[in-house]
Amino acid sequence: MTDTIDKAARALSAGLMLFGIVVLGLVETFTGKPFAPAPITNEAGEVTAMPLISPEIRTGFVLAGLVVLGLYAAYRFVAPLPEDRGVSHETMAD
Amino acid sequence: MSYQTSNPLVGETEFALEGPWATYWIAFLRVVTGWWFFHAGVTKIIENGFAFTYGPSYMKGMTGTALGGIPVWMGNNLAWLIEPGVPLFETLIGLALIAGAFTRLAAFGGVIFMVLFWVGNAGFGHGVVNSDLMGLFLFMTVIVLAAGRYYGLDALLEQTALVKQNPKLRYLLG
Repeated sequence: MTDTIDKAARALSAGLMLFGIVVLGLVETFTGKPFAPAPITNEAGEVTAMPLISPEIRTGFVLAGLVVLGLYAAYRFVAPLPEDRGVSHETMAD
Repeated sequence: MSYQTSNPLVGETEFALEGPWATYWIAFLRVVTGWWFFHAGVTKIIENGFAFTYGPSYMKGMTGTALGGIPVWMGNNLAWLIEPGVPLFETLIGLALIAGAFTRLAAFGGVIFMVLFWVGNAGFGHGVVNSDLMGLFLFMTVIVLAAGRYYGLDALLEQTALVKQNPKLRYLLG
């Protein structure tokens, strides 16, 4: 059960955040200008092109991923991992 | 676990690098950092191909920095490399980090870029610790933690006979 919740929290949070950042970013990038979620304006300040995907949607997915991690943290606050579980010794990268 | 009797500030230290949450987060940071550079590079290619003329002029303007005359010299003499190199290498660095292949080599390239951005942009109005420096440290973190080994292709590349026969290649992978 604990493993399932941990894996679900990791998969869901990473999935939401990477969807908002990378997947929707790919869609935004390869469907033409603007390549970023911000409108393009001319020198007069008039908007000449709007992003395909609203930044509210993309940031919303990222925030949702962070909320999942927050909920997991709250869950672990009331249901901590056993002392000897989930911690292993340092392995130096070489 | 490390325990240093000589340093009272370092007690028993446990860092679950191979723990699932640590690897999850290291891989996530690597992919997002890769996307950051991939997006910067590929949009330059879409817009202007491999003729990023702003690159050399940006470097020519890097006067009075800690890098001395190097960037200005590069801007004056290496335009042939910088113009195609910026979009190309940003894209390749991004792809490598996303895939986790040749991660340390790619992240070293990212460090070079971020050093030039950090010093060149000189956005120090709120101190030297700014978003450019944080980006530079993200690439350093990818290198130090060998982030390509976690959910990345380097985990497979490092198992090949070539790498096992030449273990120093792990300094470019990982």
